[in-house]
Amino acid sequence: MVNALYIIVAALTAAFLLGMLKEERRATAYAITLATLAFMTWISVSWVWAFAQEGAAPVEIFTAGAVPPFAINLRMALPEAALTLMVNLSGLLAAIYMKDSLFRLGRSAMAVFLVAVMAYCGIIMTRDIFNLFVFFELVAISTAGLVLLSEDERALSAGFKYLIVSQVISIFLLLGIVFAYHATGTLNIDGMANASLGLLAGGTISFFMMFIALVAELKPFPANGWALDIYESAHPSYSALFSAAAGTASLYAVDKLLLIGGAEWLPMATGIGIVTFIASSLLALPQTNDRRQLGYSSIAQMGLVLVVLGQRDILGDSTPYIAFGLLVSHAVAKAGLYWISGLVAGRELTDWAALRGHPLLIFAFVSFIGMLSGLPPFPSFYAKWELVRFLAGEGRIALLALILFGALVEAGYLFRWFGYIMKRAAPAEPISCTPHQVTAVVAAVAAGWALGYLWGDLSGRSNLLLVLPLLFALSFLLLDWLPAWVKNTLAIAGMLAFFAFTFAEYDPLRLIFAVIILVGGAIILLASYDAHGRRVGFYPAAMLMYAGLAMLIRATASFDFFAAWEILTVGSYFLILRGKQSEPHALSYIIFSLGGAFLILTGFALAAQGAPQFDIASLSHLTAPLAPWVFILLAVGFMTKTAAIGLHIWLPGAHGEAETDVSPMVSGILLKAGLYGLFVLLMTMGKQQLYGVELTHVMLWIAALSALLGNLMAIFEEDAKRLLAYSSIGQMGYALFGLALMNHLGWLMALMFVINHYIYKSMLFLAAGGVAKRTGTRDMYKMGGLITLMPFSFIAVLIGIIAVSGVPPLSGFGGRWIFYNAILSTDYRLPLIITFFAGPIAFLYLFRLIHTIFLGQLKDEHRKIKEAPFWIVLPQMIYVALLMVVAIFPGIVLRRVDTYLNQFFPEGGLNWEGLEISSNYGYWNPVAIMIVVCVIFGTLFAWLLFVNRKAQKVKQFNIGFSAERPYRPETTHFAWNFFAPYRKALGFLVQPFVTRFWGALTDFLHTGADLSRRLYNGNGQTYAFHFIAFVIIVFFVRMGV
Amino acid sequence: MQFDWMKIPYAFLTLFIVVNYGLLVTALIAKIAARVGRRHGIPIYQNYFDLIKNYGLRSSITHGVMFYLGPVFRLSGGVGLLLFVPSIYGSYMFSNLSFSGDLILALYFFFFGTLGMALGAAESGHPHAAIGITRGLSQVTAAELPFGLAVFSVALQYQTLSITDIVAAQQGSILAWTLFTNPFAVTAAMLSFLGSMMRPPFDVVLAPQEIPIGPPTEYHSSYLALMQTNRVIFPIAKIVIYMNLFFGGAADWPTFFLKVFLIYMWSVFVGVVFPRFRVEQSIRWFLVWAVPVGVLSIILL
Amino acid sequence: MAYIAMATGFILILIGLFGALTNRNILRMIVAFTVADTGVNMVIVAIGYMHGRTAPILDVAVSAAEAAARIIDPVPQALVLTAIVIGVGVTALMLAYTYKLYEKKRTLDIAQFTELKW
Repeated sequence: MVNALYIIVAALTAAFLLGMLKEERRATAYAITLATLAFMTWISVSWVWAFAQEGAAPVEIFTAGAVPPFAINLRMALPEAALTLMVNLSGLLAAIYMKDSLFRLGRSAMAVFLVAVMAYCGIIMTRDIFNLFVFFELVAISTAGLVLLSEDERALSAGFKYLIVSQVISIFLLLGIVFAYHATGTLNIDGMANASLGLLAGGTISFFMMFIALVAELKPFPANGWALDIYESAHPSYSALFSAAAGTASLYAVDKLLLIGGAEWLPMATGIGIVTFIASSLLALPQTNDRRQLGYSSIAQMGLVLVVLGQRDILGDSTPYIAFGLLVSHAVAKAGLYWISGLVAGRELTDWAALRGHPLLIFAFVSFIGMLSGLPPFPSFYAKWELVRFLAGEGRIALLALILFGALVEAGYLFRWFGYIMKRAAPAEPISCTPHQVTAVVAAVAAGWALGYLWGDLSGRSNLLLVLPLLFALSFLLLDWLPAWVKNTLAIAGMLAFFAFTFAEYDPLRLIFAVIILVGGAIILLASYDAHGRRVGFYPAAMLMYAGLAMLIRATASFDFFAAWEILTVGSYFLILRGKQSEPHALSYIIFSLGGAFLILTGFALAAQGAPQFDIASLSHLTAPLAPWVFILLAVGFMTKTAAIGLHIWLPGAHGEAETDVSPMVSGILLKAGLYGLFVLLMTMGKQQLYGVELTHVMLWIAALSALLGNLMAIFEEDAKRLLAYSSIGQMGYALFGLALMNHLGWLMALMFVINHYIYKSMLFLAAGGVAKRTGTRDMYKMGGLITLMPFSFIAVLIGIIAVSGVPPLSGFGGRWIFYNAILSTDYRLPLIITFFAGPIAFLYLFRLIHTIFLGQLKDEHRKIKEAPFWIVLPQMIYVALLMVVAIFPGIVLRRVDTYLNQFFPEGGLNWEGLEISSNYGYWNPVAIMIVVCVIFGTLFAWLLFVNRKAQKVKQFNIGFSAERPYRPETTHFAWNFFAPYRKALGFLVQPFVTRFWGALTDFLHTGADLSRRLYNGNGQTYAFHFIAFVIIVFFVRMGV
Repeated sequence: MQFDWMKIPYAFLTLFIVVNYGLLVTALIAKIAARVGRRHGIPIYQNYFDLIKNYGLRSSITHGVMFYLGPVFRLSGGVGLLLFVPSIYGSYMFSNLSFSGDLILALYFFFFGTLGMALGAAESGHPHAAIGITRGLSQVTAAELPFGLAVFSVALQYQTLSITDIVAAQQGSILAWTLFTNPFAVTAAMLSFLGSMMRPPFDVVLAPQEIPIGPPTEYHSSYLALMQTNRVIFPIAKIVIYMNLFFGGAADWPTFFLKVFLIYMWSVFVGVVFPRFRVEQSIRWFLVWAVPVGVLSIILL
Repeated sequence: MAYIAMATGFILILIGLFGALTNRNILRMIVAFTVADTGVNMVIVAIGYMHGRTAPILDVAVSAAEAAARIIDPVPQALVLTAIVIGVGVTALMLAYTYKLYEKKRTLDIAQFTELKW
């Protein structure tokens, strides 16, 4: 094994060597630089290998032939090896990336670069506090030098501001060191720790000075203006290094220092960390400059890791796993993003739209923001899970809430950025990249995924990157070059095969969800055959969603469940984002979903009470006072997906603006994930009370209001797909209502809604999508009279609306019948009244849907349109057939579930005698109804045919209309503001209060952040003031406590 | 309850009786209403003449498939509603096709005809038809609500959804009628009843002046005849439900005729006295006056 | 004696910091920082000083055997040397920056270099 000291020796030697080279021999100089960095990296790699695989013991490196405290010593153990590896590798990649700049500036720049990397490694390895100071000063000097690599002239002032602040910092650090030395008689960190510095005279104050100085290197809020300026103006590759390596090194220095300070300083670290995390995340919101935003994000991540270090008292041995998980995700992602920023010409966030058309870079970007947001399968996801588990287990809920809030804000602006990339106008200047630049980015992506695998492996849980559905989904990333129809066939085959293989493993309830997700998903995918070309990006996203769904219903452990939940959320977000106008809607979708996911995460963590493994089934063992809170967290989390009222504002846009075949996926299938979660929740936890309030009763009210308001909002909608989307809110309200009734039939009804809603909403969305495709608009009043031109779509919509409205003889009636029987055996009567009102309102929007599109007057511009494409019509016809089957033989699906539900509610099931279905209250014979209705209808139809056999088809305007013959369809087709009287009577109910509420909240955050960030006025002196103020505040907080 | 083939001819018999009774009673009511307005009114057999004439008319046009099917839907709705509910309590002969389903079936089958009719009328492309439908649908959502609440209250009261069982529970004395055992539910239902009988103050849907007769605007000849047939069956079918739920049902045809007539007259009494509401006014009226009564009936139970 | 040195050192640090934070002229700021640096160095030396002992130089006057009892703590002095070297380096770098900054804007007012903010 090579002595780790050679990391430092090699860099210094090479730096001197470079000084001796002739200025012209730049290639040689560059080669030496790269070779040195590679050598340093190799040393780190070999040590990591030795520690991780061969179990080598940590090594102390002594210098000057003496042992501490008489000489400086350094240490090489697994953390040091891993951290130096991160530093050296990012240094190597950064050097590769900025080849051109290094060539331009010559050997001196390369020497300084080497010194910087060496200094970072030194900070990590040294165990001597004064040596630490020296390395920090080396970092300061080299940073000031490297900032000048930038082509941005403003970097000059940024570097100077940095020097000012580093001067102040070094004063504190030196004073602290010397007083600490005075108190303990040693400069060795471990020696100081053993001497219990805090107990000695002047020990606390000297530690305070060292602590504050090192923490200042982490850019804590508000003493971080200088760092932001560097991030914004430095060469992106240097910013990458600055973010990934400098932050890492400083964090480890603080970590070492905390050894000296002991447990009493941990709360301080936590406090500084969390304030920095929240403040930086918020201040990043109004940013428009990409690099500055990344700077804010870097600072926030540093704060988060500092929180983890500060929580060491409860995290114990898991601290490295969590801290490293967050740190490496941050380092890899931030380095990668800075490198990408170097390829983009403009500095506005929206200029990144230039990335569009470069799938590789998009993939890289997505991977990076996934890492930063803590999404599976990246290390930060595992770390987040563990962190939350510990915090919740120890009852540190306030801190947990703050962390998740900050994480949500951060995810918010990152995904907003991704939305810009995918949807904003591409800037004039395309991206310019050289092969070595791409190498760096690709290496970062590869590292990120490899680390994801590693963390999954270390997690002691299921490694997500080994889960079959996820692998299947990810494999479409590699297959994206294939034509769409091939991928579509593969996708359908894969889903069906997975269903066939796992068929026997489901209980009846899960089987229904499995059929809807896998088989139902395959049916919807038939519509995707209509797409031409390669349809880049569609299949990975769609398959990710389906993989998440499939994993969700198969999950038994809470971790797997949550991972699946996040996967399906992310997959569906990418799907939704594909819609032409869906940028803002996809964003609100992902924010609400992630918010909901965080609630679920917290709920599971609270329920687990710190236990490493927690099965969802054990939710049933929870008792008050914890149980109701867990229930609320999980329920609200799941209700964000079912778009319960108050959390619904993302749905209309997200479903309405999605592509034709995506809308049915996200509406017909994805919404069921929320219902499935609620099913699981109620099956395990049952009724819960909080302060005497029955929580399922509250759910009943929410459900009833969702049903009413969803339906009401739908009737005032002019856009066909949005109308259907609002209708989903109402339908989900009904399903939720059935669940919250907490009786046998209520659940059966919810399940009936699950099935029916999948069928008819998928069908209607496809029909509406097909029509929109042909007419080029989704505004219903611009259509009209399409019945003869698009007969199949009409039939689908006709059957669909009869089914939705619950009119016999179609399948919707079954749901209503079970509903009435279910509510007869409940004690909660008031919420029912609202659902009673909601029911008939459905007629209004359904009639509007069919009338304004298919009936009434045909518009001139539509006279030549054709039926929707075959592949879009085909699934609709399958759904028509399915609806008929479910209508006549509801037993084939419901009967087994009915029996299955007996284990939860032995009372109140249905009786299945022959063709008749009966409950304790009433009875119903679907076959008889169908026959009677058909016979009556058929007879009367025959009679009409007989008496009116010579009816002649007349032309469009052959109507008597105010004694005139109309000739303009636009003025004759009554469609716009269709239910004006209703708006007059009840319009006040659908004022967008909820939208305003959430809008005001985000505006408040934005405006607040926009005002606060003026704190950073750009003056170096002010930044020094900030630091002094920070010191004073921390001092008083510390002494006051 | 089970199906057997004899039920089919019996069902036809019920239909025959109700159609004739409906033709006569609607004419009678039209005449009563006319007399209140100091007009002479139509002869009692007028409906027969109209029907025969319209079925006989041979000038007919169509605007399309749905237009053609609209009246069929409409009349199927009326006939179905009638036949899904037992007409005479305790009679096998006139239990009709009630083996198919219970009260909920009847409740939801209300909308079958309405929906089909609306679709047919809409295909005519006549804006008045569409306007009439929007008004009708808007109003019906509010008007049906108190009825729905009353039905729920009654179902809760008797702990069943079977119409036969509900009627059975009201036998014995007049005081056993829901009218006396659950007066709030009946009040709510009877207020709701006003909204669905196409009489003032809730008849803007078919308002003769503003909108030439609303949805049926374009229907004529045999289409109109089918709809006229429905116009005599549907109110009766609906009243039968009211009678069964709230007024003790009927054990024989004379009681049936009397009770139906009296219930029908309730809407006439109100109708001849009050002027017409606009749609938003009637929505508010139902929500403000009728719904609370229905809510009360559920809470007090 | 040591206390006077230490007090002087702290006063210098405060003067230096005050100067650096109140003077908008970049050169004056740098001078102020060097004053503060000097203060820090004085404090370090003062801390290492022990009353009645001699300089940590092993020669005729102080033999290696009795060094531990007679000399003052040599470590702070070593630290000061390092700190001075580093201080010189940083000051030089700052001066170089100043030159560049002045070249760019023809001003030495720190408040003029605020194009990076928020």
